[in-house]
Amino acid sequence: MLLKLEEVSKAFKGLMAVHAVSAEVHEGEILGLIGPNGAGKTTLFNLITGVYPPTEGRVFFEEKDITKVAPHARCWMGIARTFQLVRPFPELSVLDNAAMGRVYGRDPIKSRSRAETACLESLEIVGLTGRASEKAKSLTLVDRKRLELARALAAKPKLLLLDELLAGLNPSEVLTSMQLIKSIRDMGITIIMVEHLVKAVFGVADRIVVLNAGELIAEGTPAEVSSDQNVIDAYLGKSLRV
Amino acid sequence: MKTPAGGQLSLWKPSRRWSGPGLIVVVLAFAIVFPQQIAQDNIWNLFFLMSLGITMGQSWNMLGGFAGQTSLGHAGFFGIGALVTRTLWLHGTPFILALVVGGVATATFAMIIGAPTFRLRGAYFAIGTLAVAEVLRITVAQNRPFISTMPGDMIASYSLPARYWVALALAVVTTGAAYLLLRSRWSLGILGVREDEEAAQASGVHVLRHKLLALALSALFMGLAGGVFAFKQISYYPEAPFLPTFTFEAMMIAYIGGVGTVAGPVIGGAFFVFVRERLAANLTDVHQVIFGVLFILVVLIFPGGLLEIWERLRRLATRRQQGGPRASGPSPEEEGL
Repeated sequence: MLLKLEEVSKAFKGLMAVHAVSAEVHEGEILGLIGPNGAGKTTLFNLITGVYPPTEGRVFFEEKDITKVAPHARCWMGIARTFQLVRPFPELSVLDNAAMGRVYGRDPIKSRSRAETACLESLEIVGLTGRASEKAKSLTLVDRKRLELARALAAKPKLLLLDELLAGLNPSEVLTSMQLIKSIRDMGITIIMVEHLVKAVFGVADRIVVLNAGELIAEGTPAEVSSDQNVIDAYLGKSLRV
Repeated sequence: MKTPAGGQLSLWKPSRRWSGPGLIVVVLAFAIVFPQQIAQDNIWNLFFLMSLGITMGQSWNMLGGFAGQTSLGHAGFFGIGALVTRTLWLHGTPFILALVVGGVATATFAMIIGAPTFRLRGAYFAIGTLAVAEVLRITVAQNRPFISTMPGDMIASYSLPARYWVALALAVVTTGAAYLLLRSRWSLGILGVREDEEAAQASGVHVLRHKLLALALSALFMGLAGGVFAFKQISYYPEAPFLPTFTFEAMMIAYIGGVGTVAGPVIGGAFFVFVRERLAANLTDVHQVIFGVLFILVVLIFPGGLLEIWERLRRLATRRQQGGPRASGPSPEEEGL
């Protein structure tokens, strides 16, 4: 088991964003995290990456308690992420963006020039090698998302968290990105993806976790989850004829 | 797959664009030969102030331009460097040793105040640094109220060119350090902190450590600049190098030249000091108003400073040569420059 959440809760001044969620992430799987708006998906992400500590509960990574570990140190251990609203470093070149992950991530390369060469591999995975010298701010949205992915991959993660990677992409970009996500998993990287596009998640994820109003309401394969009454209620509202 | 990791790429780094060794040699040769040819006190003086301005601009730029932490307290570093160096030197320590100790003392002080000050962000950090510098200034003014003057034998053997050579050497060393810093792997983290702290942290950058590194180097060189000031002035009130003017001049030099670049503070330092000395001679204090307006214009219209203006002119010229302005917008390559 790669990641384990033990009864984690996060309250923001009385608002319970995540409430007593327990979950496990297995090595090598793609876990889809879905739920309606405000269900606490991004908050759960931030608890895993360490942006803030949980109000209650504990987080384990590779059997180690990382509840109090800072975000940069979690990256050193092998947890990398992308952001819901893309956040590459705009004034830096595409190459420098990716090199950031290679110089500072897990198993870092201390020489900058060797790190630059090494991170070309992750730029190639996302298809940005030809634009290595451009500034990140000159890229289109889909390319900025790819760049963020390359930066995360360059950090040599064991666990990769994708926060709405597919949001804002056109249908053909969604399809290629889904292929990309699968190929990253095939490289041996475990993935947790938060997504609004339920269809897309069901297409790539091995397992789905459903959050609603901060609580975990269902867990299972895409087929199990899509027929779960709680999930249907959460997404469509309760049926009047029950 | 082979990719353009080498040649073509090097054009892109602002640090490398201006570092044509030819240009450096020409500028240095001018800085060495010209004052000796003229051999007048006002020229030695002007070149001294330019060198000092370049050092101050480079120092401010390391923290403000590279790490994106706007400091309004650099006069505090300048003052500590001046105070420590002057005190040691006038008590018989060889100047170079006194200078180094002054610089190291400044960096040490910066490390001590850095950790708590970096809990503040953006405008609050700027105000915090201003407060620290002002507390220092007032403390020094209260405790060392009398003017500090060199003893008679020092004045008798005083050499203005010697002051200039020290200031020039420091400007060269500081510029070299800024260049090496930008080429190092540490700069990735420092620039990342400037661009997006949270994203940098998620990529494994220890944010505080990189801020402190930028601060230590910045304070070191500002302290050394203060030490050179103390070496040059025959007499001054110990409070003087703590005056906020030194902060604002350092900041304006970085911005007017081109903030976040290595060449910027060099151009800015030479330009700013030259114009200031001209204006101050004719208009006395009005020059401060003129620089205030110039600074606002640079920030609003040319955030890249003189370097950016130069780039735009150059691009305009090449476009003219290629036969009139193109209908299409700038290509991504040009945008990136």
